[in-house]
Amino acid sequence: MSVTTPSAAPAWEAAVDDAPVAIHVRRDLVAVAGAEGTVWLLDVASGAVTEALTLPGGLLDVALAPDARHLAAAGPLGHALWARDGGRASVFETGSWSSKAAWANMERVAVVSGRRALVLDAEGRELWAPEPAASTVTDVAWMRAGRRLAVAAYGAVRCHERHTPAPVATYRYVGSHLALAVPATGRWICSGNQDASIHIWRTRDGSELTMSGYPEKVSRLAFDDTGTWLAADGAPDVTVWDFSGKGPAGTAPRTLTAHETVTALAWRPGPAGHLASGGDDGTVALWRATSGRPQARLRPARTFAGAAAVAALAWAAPHLLIAAHRDGRVVAHRVPDL
Amino acid sequence: MSTSQRVPVTVLTGFLGSGKTTLLNRILTERHGMRIAVIENEFGEIGIDDALVVDAEEEIFEMNNGCICCTVRGDLIRILGALMRRREKFDHILIETTGLADPAPVAQTFFMDDEIAAQLRLDAIVTVVDAAHVLRHLDEEKPEHVENEAVEQIAFADRVVLNKTDLADQATVDEVISRIRAVNASVEIIPTRHAEVDLARIMDVGAFDLDRVLRDDPAFLTDTEHQHDTTVTSVGIDLPGELDEDRLNRWLGDLLRTRGADIFRSKGILALAGEPRQYVFQGVHMLLDGDFGRVWQEGEARRNRLVFIGRGLDRDALERGFTGCLADAGVAA
Repeated sequence: MSVTTPSAAPAWEAAVDDAPVAIHVRRDLVAVAGAEGTVWLLDVASGAVTEALTLPGGLLDVALAPDARHLAAAGPLGHALWARDGGRASVFETGSWSSKAAWANMERVAVVSGRRALVLDAEGRELWAPEPAASTVTDVAWMRAGRRLAVAAYGAVRCHERHTPAPVATYRYVGSHLALAVPATGRWICSGNQDASIHIWRTRDGSELTMSGYPEKVSRLAFDDTGTWLAADGAPDVTVWDFSGKGPAGTAPRTLTAHETVTALAWRPGPAGHLASGGDDGTVALWRATSGRPQARLRPARTFAGAAAVAALAWAAPHLLIAAHRDGRVVAHRVPDL
Repeated sequence: MSTSQRVPVTVLTGFLGSGKTTLLNRILTERHGMRIAVIENEFGEIGIDDALVVDAEEEIFEMNNGCICCTVRGDLIRILGALMRRREKFDHILIETTGLADPAPVAQTFFMDDEIAAQLRLDAIVTVVDAAHVLRHLDEEKPEHVENEAVEQIAFADRVVLNKTDLADQATVDEVISRIRAVNASVEIIPTRHAEVDLARIMDVGAFDLDRVLRDDPAFLTDTEHQHDTTVTSVGIDLPGELDEDRLNRWLGDLLRTRGADIFRSKGILALAGEPRQYVFQGVHMLLDGDFGRVWQEGEARRNRLVFIGRGLDRDALERGFTGCLADAGVAA
């Protein structure tokens, strides 16, 4: 049952002059990436815009370094690095599709560039790069405390380490892997697939599992902080799989019903199993996503209405959720304990 | 989602030198007031500031759905996905493919990806043909199992822009038209020079809309008896009566499962027993999109029209199979 509570006033509201495609929060900064190429940096306490920078050709992703001293931006025609000190920007107009940037730590970031993933230092200098994948790289994820990089593309997820361009481990599955999720425990590699499935490998022995039967392609996957729960789109309902013990083989997921089309997923920081999801109708829903039994159909613990589709969600703190909407509105919601 | 809200996408294909880039530039420069995005796989000389032009390299992905010929274009999925996330709304999207590209994965992308299907609609596959040189391409002998791309692009086309008619004599133009018809009996052929085409004939024509399949009725079946010795042909069948739905599903399902790789395009307007409305479908290889159309009028003879375009089609077998689906074929089937 949904609990209707008088909606608390948001902590702040801001507006950017574009359709956001991604947001990322670290420390005191919220980075909002606009589809047409501008990144706005907002103060996390007030929502005031402190800086704006541009990547020609548009944006697909943005990632702040853990210390919020640097930022990487990725777009259809290249990527860019920005240093907070002095506001230096290094723009790389490579002409190569870049859909993802992920920091390993304060010094190293992986950026997609066409069929390759590049590992760069904070200024954008190439440190090492795996060999090209079979197609344009769709997603990357760091493993083993930033020593191993998982790279998703058509036909396989490949894991790379610095010493060799060839993969140190290859997880094959014929299909177009759209999104990667690796839990903090490193026990699993999960990919959301164009063929409307989730493909799962146990990293220890490479054993595989496919969760098929989704009505649509699975393009959003996220593990919670404990690495026990995986949330996925691929249907009007969000599915939440239990990866505890031997994993989800033979189990049924919890299904979270609130949206027609899921457009964003973000786990609340911490072990509570609280999830935020966004829909194309503008609704932000909050869930006790791990409550009930397997196969339970859950209703949101709380919802926030929005006028335009949710474009991205990110938690700034356990009680502050930032939602970017397609109309350019960025709202910081105060979220009490659910 | 209704047809009108989805952005139409035209696939423009044809060999280098056919006038494809000239046509593309013409579309972009003509004063139509439309905001157009272009995805090009062939690096042409497009010098237009108004349009958003994105270069892409063809990426063909197989789908794990038990359908051997089901492939999609990964490059288009990601580029179209990014275009849809932009704030600016495009009135039309053009996809220019190379003369060597297989149109099937392009078309199938619009069937297989829900995000794309919800917001975009494949409007038509437009193939530009060089009247003076296409016969050479059509006649080119290919090793076994290698497609003749010129034949394939004509087989998939909803519109053929027969360009450079001024550079070919009338006999050649007639021969080209007859050869195109042998492959694709119902395609609309638009003879032209310097790629001067009335854009209304190639853009926003709704060739993949089920209701247009009905409206294009007269051109639907032009039977070609005088077929050339070509392995890719059209087979049109017109059958009076009503069909048994179960038997039709079984026959069509079997046919597409076993011969789907060879059946490039299919269209049908059918009368199902006990159903007051027409059933309309169209497909690309094994993928079918079907729905109920208008109500059969009182006194209107119920009939079933079907057209397949494909490789090595056996007209007799298709006619036999289709006839076996008639409701009154009864126990004999």
